Amino acid sequence: MLHPLTTLASQPNVALDQYLPLAVIIVGAVGFAVANIVLTKIIGPSRRGANKGMSYESGMNPVGTARKRFNVRFYLIAMVFLVFDVEIIFLYPWATTFPNLDPANPDAGIWLFRIFFFLFTTIVAYVYGFRKGVFNFD
Amino acid sequence: MSSLLVLLAPEIVLFITTCIVMIVGLWPKLEVRSLAMPIAGMGLLIAGVLAINTPANPESILPNIIPYAKAMTAGVGLLLVLLLAGTVDRSYEAAVERGELRFNPIHTNRAEFFAFFLFSLTGLMLCASATDLIWLFLALELVSLPTYVMATISTRKLRSQEAGVKYFFLGALGAAIFLYGFALLYGGTGTTNLIGIRDALAEQAASGGINPIAMAGIILSLIGISFKIAAVPMHFYTADVYQGAAAPVSAMLAFVPKTAGFIAMMGILAAVGWQYAPGGETLAADGVGTLPRSIYVTLAAIAVLTMTVGNVLALLQRSIKRLLAYSSIAHTGYMLVALIAGPSIAAEAGITSNGLGAVLFYLLVYGVTNIGTFAVVACLERPQPDGEADELDDLEDLRGLCRTRPVLGWVMVICALGLLGLPPLLGFWAKFLLFTSAISAGEIALVVILGLNSAIAAFYYLKLVTLPLLEEPEGDAPATTPFASRTFAGVLSAALVLLAIIPTGIVDAAMEAADRAGTIVPANIEAIERSITAEALRDEPTPIIDR
Amino acid sequence: MQTTTPQLAETIGALGLGAADTGAALEVATGPAWAMLIPMLPLLGAAIMGVCAIMGVRSKLPAWITVGLLGFSAVLAAAMYAWLPENGRAVSVAWEWINVSWGDEPGQTLKANFGFYIDSLTCLWMLFVTLLATLIALYASEYMSHDLGAGYCRFFAAFNLFVFSMACLVMGDNLLLLFLGWEGVGLCSYLLIGYHYKKHSAVFAAKKAFIVNRIGDLGLLLGVFLTFVHFGTLEYKDLFPMVQPYIEAMRQGAVGDIPAVVQLIPVLLMIGAFGKSAQLPLFVWLPDAMEGPTPVSALIHAATMVTAGVYLIARMYPLFLVSEWALPIVAWVGGLTALVAATIAMAQFDIKRIMAYSTVSQLGFMFCGLAFLSSVGGAFHVVTHAFFKATLFLCCGAVMHGFAGQLDLRKLSGVSFMKGWGIVGIAMFIGCLNLAGFPFTAGYFSKDMILAEAFITPGPGYQFLGVILLLTAGITAYYTFRVFFRVFVGPKQFEPGDELHGHDGHIDDHHEEHGSASRATEADEGHTPGDHEPMGGSVEERGKKTHEHPEHFHPHAPGWAINGVLATLAILSVLAAALYFFPGADKSHKGWAGGMISGSSAALVVGGEADHPTRLAAFVGAEPEQGTLFGQDPHKIMYYVSGVIGFVGIAIAFALHYAGRKESERSAANNLLQVKPIRTAHRWANAKWYVDELYDFALRKPLWAASQIFHLIDKLLIDGLVNLVGYLPRALGKGVRPSQSGVLHSYAAAMAGGLAVILLIVLLLSL
Repeated sequence: MLHPLTTLASQPNVALDQYLPLAVIIVGAVGFAVANIVLTKIIGPSRRGANKGMSYESGMNPVGTARKRFNVRFYLIAMVFLVFDVEIIFLYPWATTFPNLDPANPDAGIWLFRIFFFLFTTIVAYVYGFRKGVFNFD
Repeated sequence: MSSLLVLLAPEIVLFITTCIVMIVGLWPKLEVRSLAMPIAGMGLLIAGVLAINTPANPESILPNIIPYAKAMTAGVGLLLVLLLAGTVDRSYEAAVERGELRFNPIHTNRAEFFAFFLFSLTGLMLCASATDLIWLFLALELVSLPTYVMATISTRKLRSQEAGVKYFFLGALGAAIFLYGFALLYGGTGTTNLIGIRDALAEQAASGGINPIAMAGIILSLIGISFKIAAVPMHFYTADVYQGAAAPVSAMLAFVPKTAGFIAMMGILAAVGWQYAPGGETLAADGVGTLPRSIYVTLAAIAVLTMTVGNVLALLQRSIKRLLAYSSIAHTGYMLVALIAGPSIAAEAGITSNGLGAVLFYLLVYGVTNIGTFAVVACLERPQPDGEADELDDLEDLRGLCRTRPVLGWVMVICALGLLGLPPLLGFWAKFLLFTSAISAGEIALVVILGLNSAIAAFYYLKLVTLPLLEEPEGDAPATTPFASRTFAGVLSAALVLLAIIPTGIVDAAMEAADRAGTIVPANIEAIERSITAEALRDEPTPIIDR
Repeated sequence: MQTTTPQLAETIGALGLGAADTGAALEVATGPAWAMLIPMLPLLGAAIMGVCAIMGVRSKLPAWITVGLLGFSAVLAAAMYAWLPENGRAVSVAWEWINVSWGDEPGQTLKANFGFYIDSLTCLWMLFVTLLATLIALYASEYMSHDLGAGYCRFFAAFNLFVFSMACLVMGDNLLLLFLGWEGVGLCSYLLIGYHYKKHSAVFAAKKAFIVNRIGDLGLLLGVFLTFVHFGTLEYKDLFPMVQPYIEAMRQGAVGDIPAVVQLIPVLLMIGAFGKSAQLPLFVWLPDAMEGPTPVSALIHAATMVTAGVYLIARMYPLFLVSEWALPIVAWVGGLTALVAATIAMAQFDIKRIMAYSTVSQLGFMFCGLAFLSSVGGAFHVVTHAFFKATLFLCCGAVMHGFAGQLDLRKLSGVSFMKGWGIVGIAMFIGCLNLAGFPFTAGYFSKDMILAEAFITPGPGYQFLGVILLLTAGITAYYTFRVFFRVFVGPKQFEPGDELHGHDGHIDDHHEEHGSASRATEADEGHTPGDHEPMGGSVEERGKKTHEHPEHFHPHAPGWAINGVLATLAILSVLAAALYFFPGADKSHKGWAGGMISGSSAALVVGGEADHPTRLAAFVGAEPEQGTLFGQDPHKIMYYVSGVIGFVGIAIAFALHYAGRKESERSAANNLLQVKPIRTAHRWANAKWYVDELYDFALRKPLWAASQIFHLIDKLLIDGLVNLVGYLPRALGKGVRPSQSGVLHSYAAAMAGGLAVILLIVLLLSL
């Protein structure tokens, strides 16, 4: 297992030290996880009880059937939220940089086209959602 | 930039068609809803015409592939659209028509089904245009993500949902593997541009050997993409998914992701180049050689295992769709042999020695022929009370089909013989080119295994021929689908397979598409690049690269 | 053979072979497009016959269509002759057939067009083939009438297909098309011999013919391959000019300059010719082929197909001229075949079989003619023989048809004098005279051209061969007239055959021929009342006799079609003699036939001027300059010698079988058989010199034994291997099958495992 690394090192055009930060991050990440588990074991108080032993489930009652039905519209609403919220965020960086462009720049038209295309896809998504009946909340 | 728009014209047309289909498919009026399929077909037709006239892209690692690959996508896509008719919403639409239910778009899948289909084809076209690893990854995922949904919604049965879930999770695993490979490749070469990667790798090879990180990236990418082409060890999902999905969707799964995977592999291998000394990791003296040993061994092992596993498992099947799924795996193995052989680099190599061209032609032929066989399965059905229908998927159901349903029977016979590669059917010429390209590359051992496997394949393909043709029918004629366009798709495929005249034009197009791929000798990189640019300038009066 | 070389070289040199100005002379014109109709019409006919069979036609319509189409072909063949260009050769390409190229070098293109090489040799052959085919089809329309329906259609379909194949063979402009035709005629011969496919002996004979021919075909095929390997072309128009340098070398006596390969080609081709033309040792199939319907025997196995060997040698004559062994082998094989077949014919009783042996014998003469550098003689004999032998066969067929399949010459007598049989008798008489070489008949002149050359052509033992041929000529005259005197003249007596419905063939015959060894000892040459049941007696008495056959048998005399054809053929046989005198296109040649040959590839000088001076028509008065026999023109001498020999043969036959038959209880022939040596010889000849038995012992038995051994090996080893091959993939599949468990996480694990394995392998490789 050592050999490839030595080969790696022996090659002049591969600067292994470039990967040092990566290695530090990996070591740090693994170390953090291990350290947390170990430290809680050591320093954490350990009391027991019925509620304490219950697993954490984001505020839902973990007892009972797991096949609990949610209204599908929750998901649809979530998706529509993505369309209108997250995607609109993309407009912001564009809006801040576009006025800085030289008006004579031939790329300006392309910049404009790009954002219009993006808006077009958003509108299509909106129309689709509308047609699909997502907004009929009855 | 605008040149890029010209190159992407077919994709743009397909995207706009997708948008229209997505809206139209949800229309409350049945007449308008029903237009979803014709509109999809029209879009494909226009995209295909545009694709044929697309210029070459000198910035691409496979400069000439675009017109052929996109036109092939559009052509086979047209056949698939015909076959996909009536796959979803059948009982729902029937109930609406009877007045039992009111049309509610939230309960229908038609719009999404065709839209996803077009999305997948768009992704396939984007694969052919890809010049960059990130682009390639996004394109590959655009191919696959819609297919997961399509497999799931293709029937209302549990098995489709199971198939969809399996396909999705394993697909995600595959995608993770090749994404990791891409990342390592970027790490090993410092660029995500495929041409940049090619130059970097050539430089590394010239000065001692390819960086192991880059090499690991290449191998991980290839294995990850093996999922798309259904090659060992990523083939496990194939039979379950093909069987679980409706036959038209299975036909699509056998063509679209496979083609995307092969084009992606070609791009990556073209960046590596077939110019290494056989059995080693160093460059061949004259630049005419093979892949680096690690990649060669990986691919050769995958090829051999893929065709053997596919064929021996197909022997045991009673389900037509499972049989065709395993045969699809086997065909992947065949094509990998030509991929290993690579393009012809030798000076006066003819069309018979270009492995990449052979693969491109084989993909088309396989796609068309396969649609024919799946069309027969899609056309035979066992009606059920709720208006849905169960496909007849057992080999026994084919018994005496030439008597009871002559059109379907003969389509099955012709297409099975085509898959077998019986001369003078189209499949023969495709396989012939695979053989000749591998022989001219000196891959004799692989050719022998390929030949043996073809012989094994004859066992089960002949089952598909003898059962309809020679056996006496048992019982009544099986019911057929009310969707005439499916039968039409089958007949059209069979007619294309019967095209006994050597399809010289298509072969030439495929060979031209694979031209100038991965033939760069490092010492001559600059000279060759100059010549390419000069040629592009000469060919195109108006320079298409406007920076 | 070593001595041959200078001799032959000298001869060819002396004859002025291989004129230098061959370049211009070998130019090839473009032939007419309608020439392709000659083969295509019969092919169309075959297709129509198929349609007729499907539609269930039960009339004589197929026959009339065949006659019409073949007649039109014959007219076109005549037109082709009339069209023949000035320099005598043309190529007419119907369509491109095979054109494969694997390089630009000469010899790297295999080109074989479906095209026709038209020269006078082609015309000569096509003229008599199409003419005879037309006439015999007309004859068969009546002869086969008992079989109206599917069988009738099948017969004429094969008949048409045969003419098509023969036309391809003769007209093809390359060796590959010739081979196609060669195989085609073989196939049709097989189909037609086995026409009565329910009869064991017919099927046996068909198989025998096919298999024996395969041996010859192998030789031909190897010859064709070798031609391509050496010359790089199979097309005559390219091939013949390439042979010119070798002929030139031969003329100058520089035999060493000719590669051994070139000398081997004709030897291989010759093997093919021996098979098709039934020469030693491959002649055994032809007599058995008489199981086929008589029109088939007449057309295929007497007049046309069996002359394909002669045609092949004539066509490839330039190649034969440059080999020092080929022509002497041809001469000796031909001469010995002529003699052996003639002796067998003397001792047979089945008249059709006698004619078959006589065909073998005459073919031997033709080969000799070619070998004695007299291709004119060989070809002319082919033509005359085609007409008179067809006549003879058709007469025998008429007898067979009329007497319920009776062919035994001991059981028929005086047929000519019966009511309605006059034309048959006269036609038979004319045919016999021709075959016997009676002076001033066509057969006389043509045989003569061959015999004379034997004595003046230098070659290994050619003089001795001439003597053998003369002897054979005498024997021929004898056995020919033995048939005539026994069957056609004499008291009117007969015993009908066992096929009262007029079916062709003779089931007993097969047994007879195999039992002949034992029966031949007391075989009587005629009617010995003690041994055999008395013959049926005269026609008038027939009704009173008790007999195994039904009482009311009456021979039915031939109808207008048979009579008409016989009369026409008899007249043509006589007129064929005129071809000898009738001047050809070029006055300097030996009659019309000579003109036809000298303009073709069979001429001694390809594209050049003249035939050998002594071969000029001596009869017309040209003075011989060389090659004399006893100081005289050999042809003149031969006219007398062969005439006398013919007379002697006929006289002996007359004494033994006509006069002798009347005089005593025991015929003169039987008396002769009391002499022990003659009896032994007769027994051996009757048993066909035990050639079939020799084949059986030397080839069939060992092959059978070997096949048993191989069968065992096949069963145990090969079948086992094949089963193993079939079993292995399934076993492998069963082994791999558990991997497809359908469980998602095991799939994921397997994928990850596979990835790991591959990475490990790559890692190990890079270590």
